[in-house]
Amino acid sequence: MRKIIAVLGVLLLLALAGSAFAADVIKIGHTVSLTGGASMWGQSEARALDMLAKKINAAGGVLGKQIEFVRYDNRNDAVEAVNVARRLVSDGVIAVIGPAQSGNSIASAPVLEKAKIPMVVTTATNPYVTIDQKTDKVRPFAFRPCFIDPFQGTVAARFAITDLGAKKGAILYDVGSDYGQWLARYFEEAFVAKGGTIVAKEAFRSEELDYRAQLGKMKDLAPDVIFIPTSQKEAAMAAKQARDLGIKAILLGTDNWGSPDLIELGGSAIDGGYFVNLADLADPDIQGFVAEYKALYGEDPVLPNPVMAQDALIMIVEALKKAGTTDGTKLADALANLKNIKVTSGVLTIDPENHNPLDKPAVIQQVDVANKTFKFVKKFVSVE
Amino acid sequence: MFLQTLITGLSIGGIYALMAVGYSLVFSVLNFSNFAHGAVIMLGAYVGLALATKLSLGFGLVLAGSIAGAGIIAVLNERLAYSSLRRRKAPSLYLMISAMGCAVFLENLVYATIGSRFYAFPEFFGRQVVTLGGSSISLLDVGAFLFALAAILGLHLFINRTRTGIAIRAGVSDMTMCSLMGVDLDRLIAIVFLLAGGFAGVAGVFLGVKYLVYPTMGWVTNKAYIAAVIGGLGSLPGALVGGLLLGIVETFVSTYVSSVLRDVFSFSMLIAFLIWRPNGLLGRDSEEKV
Repeated sequence: MRKIIAVLGVLLLLALAGSAFAADVIKIGHTVSLTGGASMWGQSEARALDMLAKKINAAGGVLGKQIEFVRYDNRNDAVEAVNVARRLVSDGVIAVIGPAQSGNSIASAPVLEKAKIPMVVTTATNPYVTIDQKTDKVRPFAFRPCFIDPFQGTVAARFAITDLGAKKGAILYDVGSDYGQWLARYFEEAFVAKGGTIVAKEAFRSEELDYRAQLGKMKDLAPDVIFIPTSQKEAAMAAKQARDLGIKAILLGTDNWGSPDLIELGGSAIDGGYFVNLADLADPDIQGFVAEYKALYGEDPVLPNPVMAQDALIMIVEALKKAGTTDGTKLADALANLKNIKVTSGVLTIDPENHNPLDKPAVIQQVDVANKTFKFVKKFVSVE
Repeated sequence: MFLQTLITGLSIGGIYALMAVGYSLVFSVLNFSNFAHGAVIMLGAYVGLALATKLSLGFGLVLAGSIAGAGIIAVLNERLAYSSLRRRKAPSLYLMISAMGCAVFLENLVYATIGSRFYAFPEFFGRQVVTLGGSSISLLDVGAFLFALAAILGLHLFINRTRTGIAIRAGVSDMTMCSLMGVDLDRLIAIVFLLAGGFAGVAGVFLGVKYLVYPTMGWVTNKAYIAAVIGGLGSLPGALVGGLLLGIVETFVSTYVSSVLRDVFSFSMLIAFLIWRPNGLLGRDSEEKV
């Protein structure tokens, strides 16, 4: 009995010490892919967040407290993302940054919503990240700083038809990703609505490397443009394989293409391809960030995640200042009503109706292999 | 479209066969599935990549360096992770579990040291395409296919015609007897792993040139494993036949049925073979598979 009391006493002391220590910091969760297929953006995202938090902490922190990240690897896997969300809840974080992918975000949202902890995803562009698909109502604790896929898919289709003069389109997408599946659908709808025809819609499974069977089928149908809503890795491989099969169609992609290594990975095959992006490395607004990141880590940030993650952290910090408390419900309320705050990518206002940013523009970039850059082509502010 | 599908299937099958050979070699001697083979392929690709980008070597030297590098890694892998289990006469299940551990360990070692980003080999031959009756294939794929066939044939000759080859075959039929007859088993097994590693090096470079180099690229060997089972684990001609067959079946399923159902077919084939023909098409009799 005495032993039990002693043990309990020690535990109580530890708990007191723990909470006394915790009082000096604000714990923000970060669920991110540090390993797995998306780790390249994940690691860049983590670096950008650490860089910004250091600056905020040096300037006195938020509400007089220092920011501390509780970071777990979700391995870009929906099951693991849910586990991470649960761990973050039990760790007592006051808000969560991430995940970056739509599928993982949609899986994590209910866990955090139940715990009343606001979540600000980084680059998850699927509409159902902030809207509950079952009830069609806004998820009260989910927010994002990036544009959404119906906008992106429509921009891509508009651009294909009006600027590239395409009539026949084909789609190659990853059936294992919410991102790819929905974008394929939004593109198809917008392309058909504008008078085009989709001659082939072919899928592959995540982590697959060879798409020649699917592309071989498209070849006979001679599309003018092939829409490939994937990350730069799949886009590069699809481009190489399409050119090997003698396919001459214009390749068109989405914001996940926008990584500096697309050119190295795709080589001559990807030259001349177009894609929609959230941010442009050459964007004058983010030059300060790019220079700072490069000075600290010796390489370019892997866009767009680092920029969007910083935006997410700034959203949380601004909301904390506005709410004056770390209470989840009040914090979510402050996040929903953010107006004209200065973030890394520019200026941001959150729409309280759907928790998406208002008027987030999309840029069209073209891959220029000879000069190793993405050429700015066009900016869409809206598709109306 | 039929001819194009067939050509693509053969080209994919050639790579599967090249990877399946490594599984079969180790299985034939030690009677366990070396799931670390995929990780050795991945490391072989990184060795080749380092030679190509850091030292700007040509394709031949890159390939040779990668064969040597992956061979040494495979031998080290055996020495460190399998040899003590082997000496204690552990069941092959233990070896297989150790192999899975090695695969995860090596993959995470790459994450921790080199990092997670994707790499591409420089374009060694430009993008030259051969057209045949309306179907296209890149020259590189033709070369890779022929090289894979030649390498597998060379290995077949080595095992059937040389003294070391005879020792390996003797070890395959009875390890204990073979050692009683004065064959140095440690040396023999090191040679087997060196050969399997060499093939992993070739497969790594071809995979890297054709696709990309990244830490989880070794998982594509799941398919090579299926190919090895179809052909008969432990049989070299079986690995070739299984690889080509799987490549062609997959491509035809993707083209004429559905690309999403492709893996359902592949893994159904694996299960069907394990149930009804566990020795594969050309495999020898043995009690334990997987």
